[in-house]
Amino acid sequence: MKALTALVISMAFAAFVAAAAQQQPAKAWTQPRTPDGQPDLQGIWTNYTSTPFEVPDSGDKPDFYAGDVDGTGRGTGPSSFLTDTSDRKLTKAKSLVVDPPTGRVPIMPWAEEVRNYRLTHIQDDWVNFTPWERCITRGVPGGIFPAGYGSGYQILQGPGYVAIVYEMIHEARMIPVDGRPHLGPSFRLWNGDSRGRWDGNTLVVDITGYNDKGTVATNVATQRVRAIPQSEQLHAVERFTRVDENTIDYEVTIEDPKVFTSPWKVAMPLHREPDYQLFEYACHEGNRAVPNTLSAGRARDRK
Amino acid sequence: MNWLKGGLIALVSIAGTLAVSQMMRPPVEGRAPDVNVPRTAGGKPDLNGIWQAVGSANWNLLDHQARSGPVLELGAVLAVPAGLTVVDGNEIPYQPWAAARQKENYENWLSRDPEVKCYLPGIPRATYMPYPFQILQTADNDILMAYEYASASRVIKMGRVQPPPVDTWMGQSAGHWEGDTLVVDTTGLNDQTWFDRAGNFHSEALHVVERLTPVSQDVLDYQATIEDPKVFTRPWKMQMPLYRRQDKRAQLLEVKCVEFVEELMYGALRKKTGNEPKFSAARLRWP
Repeated sequence: MKALTALVISMAFAAFVAAAAQQQPAKAWTQPRTPDGQPDLQGIWTNYTSTPFEVPDSGDKPDFYAGDVDGTGRGTGPSSFLTDTSDRKLTKAKSLVVDPPTGRVPIMPWAEEVRNYRLTHIQDDWVNFTPWERCITRGVPGGIFPAGYGSGYQILQGPGYVAIVYEMIHEARMIPVDGRPHLGPSFRLWNGDSRGRWDGNTLVVDITGYNDKGTVATNVATQRVRAIPQSEQLHAVERFTRVDENTIDYEVTIEDPKVFTSPWKVAMPLHREPDYQLFEYACHEGNRAVPNTLSAGRARDRK
Repeated sequence: MNWLKGGLIALVSIAGTLAVSQMMRPPVEGRAPDVNVPRTAGGKPDLNGIWQAVGSANWNLLDHQARSGPVLELGAVLAVPAGLTVVDGNEIPYQPWAAARQKENYENWLSRDPEVKCYLPGIPRATYMPYPFQILQTADNDILMAYEYASASRVIKMGRVQPPPVDTWMGQSAGHWEGDTLVVDTTGLNDQTWFDRAGNFHSEALHVVERLTPVSQDVLDYQATIEDPKVFTRPWKMQMPLYRRQDKRAQLLEVKCVEFVEELMYGALRKKTGNEPKFSAARLRWP
């Protein structure tokens, strides 16, 4: 009977501890872990925010950056019925670009010229579209900058891997966290080559091996930075830190000495939204924007 | 204390019975079960890894002999490999109109196969494309299948799911375990994808039930039952092994094929500057 008595006593103690815990103020949130010990970032996350990408400047030409290059109202933004209009703003920053402190990306003038050429010659060739409009990719890290719609991300974790499923263009980004080295220099990739590691509870992802055909930012919400070219020297470091049950603080530092005069940083939260449904974004399969824009250009040439 | 002992004995014997029944689960057709397959902490087979079908089902699900490829100048390169059928009875039970359509599809392969345009492959074709795919299985048994081809992917929701709100290229997949077999039920597929490069096709009424069973550490038995009352006279089944990629550094690489088809799809609409790539006139022959 001794064992039984001990059991009864320990059960009573457990009930007492549970009751005491309930009376205490909200307990500090603790980072949940997967069975193999990784900090658990899993779930469905969204990134919508109405905070601008950069701090606006009086010299900005928002309509031009959005694709309305001749003042006729022609742009390439998404239809309004698709757009996320929730009024979710950052509280501590005026822009998603947090470094430099001006909130302005340090773009070299030649790169702005390339962007301007692309925006004004979009009817000439598909290479003047961003990779997103070509339905290749929104890029890494660009794929996680808010686009205003298609804002869902699902993080799944298994042994040695963190996977991020991007709603936009249905990409599943497989990030190894097993310490393997980067791919060799023969690989020049649209999304670069991601290698992850855990720094405490933070997932740190190092990305190199980019091609020079992509752009760091592809969507209209990134305004002046959209369609800015990238070089093969692009290097990005992302940090994902879950700070409470419903928030991941996301940060990325971007450097490309051929394009930017100094490294710059974006910081923004990802919000847990378990009921958000990711839809298939079969982009290329229904891409009429590229052929219609080009054929409009050829029709114009014939005039 | 006797009641406690009795209870313990009962518990132990239940556990023992469970263990024995686990071992005695009926084997996959024609194969002895392997009790050494890797398992998750929860006891389910651990399917994590990079897998690939080896064979030429993507060329043709049915028996097919080798033949020349469609571009004369390529000679023996990119010729069509020979392959044995993966379909039960080597027959796809088309309704008469659909048999005629399949033949027409085959004859017009290059202009009709969605793979030529880098479109999403659909289910089950994604599985046996000539590229690897990765299964990521979480501790909660949510399962991601990421395909190298075209950055296609699907998350298999475990348990009950709501009916899919719209038809899509990759459909909606719901999974459950039957013993050591992962059963994946996929609906909500559109009518745009094919089964192979031989023009085998389906309608939006397609319903696919896949069964993945580990038969050893490095081999999965893959079966898919295909049901589509608009196109076939009865359900039919395909079966093939999937092999674990053993390469030490195996990883999914980037195959963003959209870039490879832009010239094909939009080339005639490009503004001529004199700097565009030059193409020789290749001689096509197909079928």
